[in-house]
Amino acid sequence: MIWIVWRQQRTLFITLAVGLVLGVAGVLALRAMMTADFTGAGLGGCLRDVAQSGGVCGADPNGAVQVTWTARMRNGQLLMLALPALVGVFIGAPLYAREFEQGTHALAFTQSVSRTRWMATKFLVTAVPAFAAVLVMQLAVGSWIEAAGSIGPLQNGRFVQAVFDNDGVSPAAYTLFAFTLGTFAGALFRRTLLGMTLTLGVFVVVRSLVFSFRESLGATKRVVSDDPFAKSAPDGAWELNGGYLNAKGEVITNRLEISGKCIGNDPTQADPQAIEKCFRENGVVKSFRDVIPADALGSLHLAEASIFLALSVLFVAGTVWAVRRQT
Amino acid sequence: MDATRLNADLVRVQGVAKRFGRTTALSDCTFTLPRGSVTALVGPNGAGKSTLLSLIAGLAKPTRGEITVNGTPVRGRMHPDVSLLTQRRPLYDHFTVREMMRAGGAINERWSAERADEVLGLLGGVDRDAKVGTLSTGARTQVSIALALGRLPEVLLLDEPLSDLDPLARDETLRIVMTEVAERGTTVLLSSHLLTDLGDVCDNLLLLDEGRVQVAGEIEDILTDHQVLVGPAGAAPPADGTVVDTSHTVRQTTVLLRGGTAPEGWQTEHPDLESLVMSYLRASRTRRAATKNGRRAVSG
Repeated sequence: MIWIVWRQQRTLFITLAVGLVLGVAGVLALRAMMTADFTGAGLGGCLRDVAQSGGVCGADPNGAVQVTWTARMRNGQLLMLALPALVGVFIGAPLYAREFEQGTHALAFTQSVSRTRWMATKFLVTAVPAFAAVLVMQLAVGSWIEAAGSIGPLQNGRFVQAVFDNDGVSPAAYTLFAFTLGTFAGALFRRTLLGMTLTLGVFVVVRSLVFSFRESLGATKRVVSDDPFAKSAPDGAWELNGGYLNAKGEVITNRLEISGKCIGNDPTQADPQAIEKCFRENGVVKSFRDVIPADALGSLHLAEASIFLALSVLFVAGTVWAVRRQT
Repeated sequence: MDATRLNADLVRVQGVAKRFGRTTALSDCTFTLPRGSVTALVGPNGAGKSTLLSLIAGLAKPTRGEITVNGTPVRGRMHPDVSLLTQRRPLYDHFTVREMMRAGGAINERWSAERADEVLGLLGGVDRDAKVGTLSTGARTQVSIALALGRLPEVLLLDEPLSDLDPLARDETLRIVMTEVAERGTTVLLSSHLLTDLGDVCDNLLLLDEGRVQVAGEIEDILTDHQVLVGPAGAAPPADGTVVDTSHTVRQTTVLLRGGTAPEGWQTEHPDLESLVMSYLRASRTRRAATKNGRRAVSG
């Protein structure tokens, strides 16, 4: 049975392998070119670990070299964001739909293979290479982004959407979700094109929806600074909210009113010390930031992944039902 | 006596009904297939022939009733002693014939590569290295039959195995099936529209209409049990037996009578298989048209 699935999907697997080799080679080449370009532009010192450089290295963010490579890395991240959807649409959705469409499911069912075994074998034999491809691409693109150090996308921390979504368990979770969604839609409607369209639509909607409440999945922490006007050093945390506190430690709600009064109509004309004084006179004593701290990154990944995992389990159960249902 | 009869019947179908939502495909079907028999399954389109075959194979579950093959009930999955050739003859088109046979071996618990290969070698022989998708309909059917017979079935179910075939391929396909019956004593149930072909190879008849078994049994007995009566127009209808079908011309009336005896003044003869089946199908069409018209009259 494994051999049959492998033989059926041979073209797909060859395409996948060729695409993977080209993709990895391309990304590694880009990484080498980027390192050379940055070193040539005198930015070699920035290509260190972000933590070591403290997130800043004095590079001009508008320099031609940096602008070019920021755009290229952005494309690499977008490719990674699209990869799970592609797996769902082009590998998951046709997996059962095409067999039902062409009537070849009856070929397996009229021999002595049970529907569940047929379903499971097809699922596993196809899913494993697809997952391996996504994970290898994640490592390749990840190492490229990592190499840009403090002048790359990591300078704003790992909670930025384009970084977070391609980091840790997230790509695997999205891929599992897209793949199981595709197989379910295909097995349910038994139409390849319909299955592919639905997979893309539902995937985009659910991903956006879960992203919209991602911040509520992590535990927030309030960081209070005794000097309300000090710039906080980047600590890799995800800042959700911030503001001023009064002497009792309560959040000052009329913040806009105060700043309007103290700064005036033309901020360039204002004297910083006068502004600080004015703020203090209006009760500003401390500042606070509500953040998801950097060390909660892993648990935030897991919390979001578990939502997609739960949905995937539902889709697998639905697929079993759709394949076993006898018309 | 009863025990030997039980044993002799390889397939037993008892009170089987199948509904798809609100439509009834089969209702209260009861019949048996004796071991080693070759049964023709006939009926108009939509009579439930394909449904019946997939129920016996275990590909679908009956809504009511029970089917046993070789004494074990059929339930929800392919019975190991049954092979089913479905109407669409599904095969993996981009496999070669050889790979297709390897696949057959991989998805069957009991599989005889020799038997499958033997079937492929029959007649002109099928090119083992050709892609399945490029084969002629006849060769494709032969590959499907090889796949079905490689399972070494005791019951072979064939759904329209002769459709789309040219006359030569039709004969050859029937020859493969008859060779199987002669060599292995396989019990065969095959559905077909081609009555002339069936008469030569089948010894039993199962006539299905509107989801019900109309006639079942040995063809010889059935033909003896029926009479074609030809009498003058307006002659009194027969008093006993069941009138299956009546047709009138200006001068004479023709009646197909089941059981009973012909009254005075009628010419009688036994029908042949083709005219018997045709009479049943015509009668069912007339009946259906009458109910449809009746409904229209009511609603109009």
